Amino acid sequence: MQALQSSLSDHALPISSAPIRTSTATAKNVALLIHELQQLLPASSVILSTESQRPFECDGLAVYQQLPLITVIPETVDHVQAILRLCHLYQVPLVPRGAGTGLCAGAMPHAEGVLLVMTKLNKILHINANAATATVQPGVRNLALTEAVQDLGLYYAPDPSSQIACTIGGNVAENSGGVHCLKYGLTVNNVLQVKLITIEGQLITLGGEGLDEPGMDLLSLFIGSEGLLGVVVEVKVKLLPRAPRVQVLMAAYDSVTKAGDAVAALIGQGIIPAGLEMMDHLAISAAEDFVKVGYPTEAQALLICELDGTDAEVEEQLAVVSECFKEHGATSIRIAKNATEAQALWQGRKAAFPAVGRISPDYYCMDGTIPRGKVGYVLTRIQELALNYGLRVANVFHAGDGNLHPLILFDASIDGQLEQAELLGGDILTLCVDVGGTITGEHGVGLEKMPQMPYQFADAELAQFRRLKEAFDSECLLNPGKGIPTLKYCQEYRSLQHG
Amino acid sequence: MGDLTQQLVEQIQHAHATKTALNIQAGNTKASLGRHTSGQVIDVSQHTGVLSYNPTELVITARAGTKIEYLNDLLAQTQQRLPFEPPAFAGEATIGGTVAANQSGPSRPWFGSVKDSLLGLGLINGYGQAMQFGGQVMKNVAGFDVTRLQCGAMGGLGLITQVSIKLLPAFKLTQTLTFEMTAQAALDTMQHWSNLSLPITGMCHFQNKGQSLLYVRLQGGISGVEDAQVFLGGESLLPAKADAFWQALNQGTLMQRQDHQTLWCWGGPSDAPFNSVPNTCMINWAGAQRWVLEDTSNTRSQGLEKSLCQYQGGNRLGEVNGTVSVPQKALQQRIKHAFDPHSILNAGRVYSWM
Repeated sequence: MQALQSSLSDHALPISSAPIRTSTATAKNVALLIHELQQLLPASSVILSTESQRPFECDGLAVYQQLPLITVIPETVDHVQAILRLCHLYQVPLVPRGAGTGLCAGAMPHAEGVLLVMTKLNKILHINANAATATVQPGVRNLALTEAVQDLGLYYAPDPSSQIACTIGGNVAENSGGVHCLKYGLTVNNVLQVKLITIEGQLITLGGEGLDEPGMDLLSLFIGSEGLLGVVVEVKVKLLPRAPRVQVLMAAYDSVTKAGDAVAALIGQGIIPAGLEMMDHLAISAAEDFVKVGYPTEAQALLICELDGTDAEVEEQLAVVSECFKEHGATSIRIAKNATEAQALWQGRKAAFPAVGRISPDYYCMDGTIPRGKVGYVLTRIQELALNYGLRVANVFHAGDGNLHPLILFDASIDGQLEQAELLGGDILTLCVDVGGTITGEHGVGLEKMPQMPYQFADAELAQFRRLKEAFDSECLLNPGKGIPTLKYCQEYRSLQHG
Repeated sequence: MGDLTQQLVEQIQHAHATKTALNIQAGNTKASLGRHTSGQVIDVSQHTGVLSYNPTELVITARAGTKIEYLNDLLAQTQQRLPFEPPAFAGEATIGGTVAANQSGPSRPWFGSVKDSLLGLGLINGYGQAMQFGGQVMKNVAGFDVTRLQCGAMGGLGLITQVSIKLLPAFKLTQTLTFEMTAQAALDTMQHWSNLSLPITGMCHFQNKGQSLLYVRLQGGISGVEDAQVFLGGESLLPAKADAFWQALNQGTLMQRQDHQTLWCWGGPSDAPFNSVPNTCMINWAGAQRWVLEDTSNTRSQGLEKSLCQYQGGNRLGEVNGTVSVPQKALQQRIKHAFDPHSILNAGRVYSWM
């Protein structure tokens, strides 16, 4: 991705025309804000120099970069509350950020605003082994939480690929998924309570001590709201008991359609695996070259399936799964004999992104979701679209829940290829909507997918989103320009469509 | 069966123009829940029908007036089920009302509530605009989650026209076990078993007619259930009797509330000690939900605890749900205004101020 980052100044993306609210803060206000922040926070928590702010100028989608006016790294909830109050008082935009692993430029800073980095609020506050819950600060890393409870036989289910680095607060903001959300759900299905600070600096608790609260489900609304509604300062999550047995198997196919049909048939037969992933030929070859775990490189598609439960349950399911994969034309099936082999089968899948990075100077990861039954059709259509643009696409994705991650391979040093990759990406997302799916399954809209929002939603729906945003943040200071397009943006989009 | 969307849109547009309060109704099985309010009835009961159902996608889309019982029967034909086990209320409950009232059954702690299975919905807001949110796919994070926001809103943010729901395979085997023990012992036992990766889909402690029993329901694959049964021991309940018990529990008829009584529902941490909720007579959801039946004259209505709700009976013109913080109250009012500026849709059903 280095080449991709350095190429930025030469390549304007279509999205760069997306409206970013211009701050109404006066120079005097900004000076006052900086002064007050310096009074409030330790010197190391207020970063003003360009050099020191450089590491924060983008998130995991490095094609979008912007230096903030000022970066602050609070150490306490009181700090966060005070920072928000000050931003509100001085009318300065604020962008919250966790570990910066997001893939939609949702945490890209605002040129005239504050970047609020939450990583120092990284304490696990309480683990209740009896009730199988944990209360954590937002800067706790996803994997660190699972590691902290593993001796209790528990784990935190959502496991995005970035779990080694990404934070629980970021997971809440994006409603993160992972390879196991087919069976265990996304962040929204695993969070019990969130404490947030509003732009006015008020602390609000959503969700309760129990399972369901009376009234509208504000907790669900807040999860996945991409930092547009408030800043998370505490999260209570549900933990799950580790299954006594985990079994991994792999099936190879000579066509993506056959593999896609096998996935639909398996789910239709009443089997919900813990994970069910698919890779296409290009991804298989790249992964095998990289990690050498014995993937069949001649295969056009590979399914990796994980089953969990008691011994008896897993045995029962394993028989059904193997039979179903065979019936749908698997050319080979490999059942991991032990944990080491299971890990090896997963390793290729988990290393697929960096593996693809080795065969192309740059790649661009997409994130649409489609109905399972459309996998074969959509993958074939993606290859046709790619051919039209003269680009290659590798596919590595969560087949069980229809969440595609097409990786568009390109070379940013070749004039115009970045724009072509962007356009192909846009076509893939609208294709997902056309077959009854969505433009984003787990990465979020951020800045990146703003052009596709008016394609997926009608004007009345987008207007409803904006009114909802205003109910939380009437002056649009929280993460402005992301997630929900403005009215003007939508009008321009519609006039282009009809023009 | 029919599509009444246009008619419903026109009715709401008219009510918006004339600032007329509306009372959304289909099966009318939720009238005893929430606060009693007045308003002109807008009838959704004839807005019925399954719009799409493909078993291999594990998703069904149905109009809001479609009955839960109808959906259960349809799904059983393809060995599938609604994961949140909603109460059918003598066959009259509809899917729209179930979502609006956030009604999930005994399997709630293991298979989630309505929101955990809800993928998308159609909604007419207080302006009379028909909109679609979410969709039919498992993962979807485009835009705010207006879909799940509706769960529990009791129609106050809009009239739900249709819903898409994630389904699960039907269980191959069901077995109910009973264990004689005190409520506190049952709480400790439920806690312990919850953390053991067993195919449990219901745990309820009920004191009735001098008996104090813990009911444990096992559901899943044949071998998993059989192994768990051997592991747990207990008395096995006959299927018909077991089914009647879980049905009654789900429909709220296990405890026979008299007219002079109020049924309270407490929601909190499953490991809260038994005596932290005085007068508990039934424990559901492995301890996370507890029920208290009291004479209405034992009023608790002053300053309700957040965790306690006046589920049925008693004065239903005052507040029936626990208090919320001042900032959250203001936020909820702004959200209500964002969907329904004249407050014409089911106003006051959850709180007097909403």
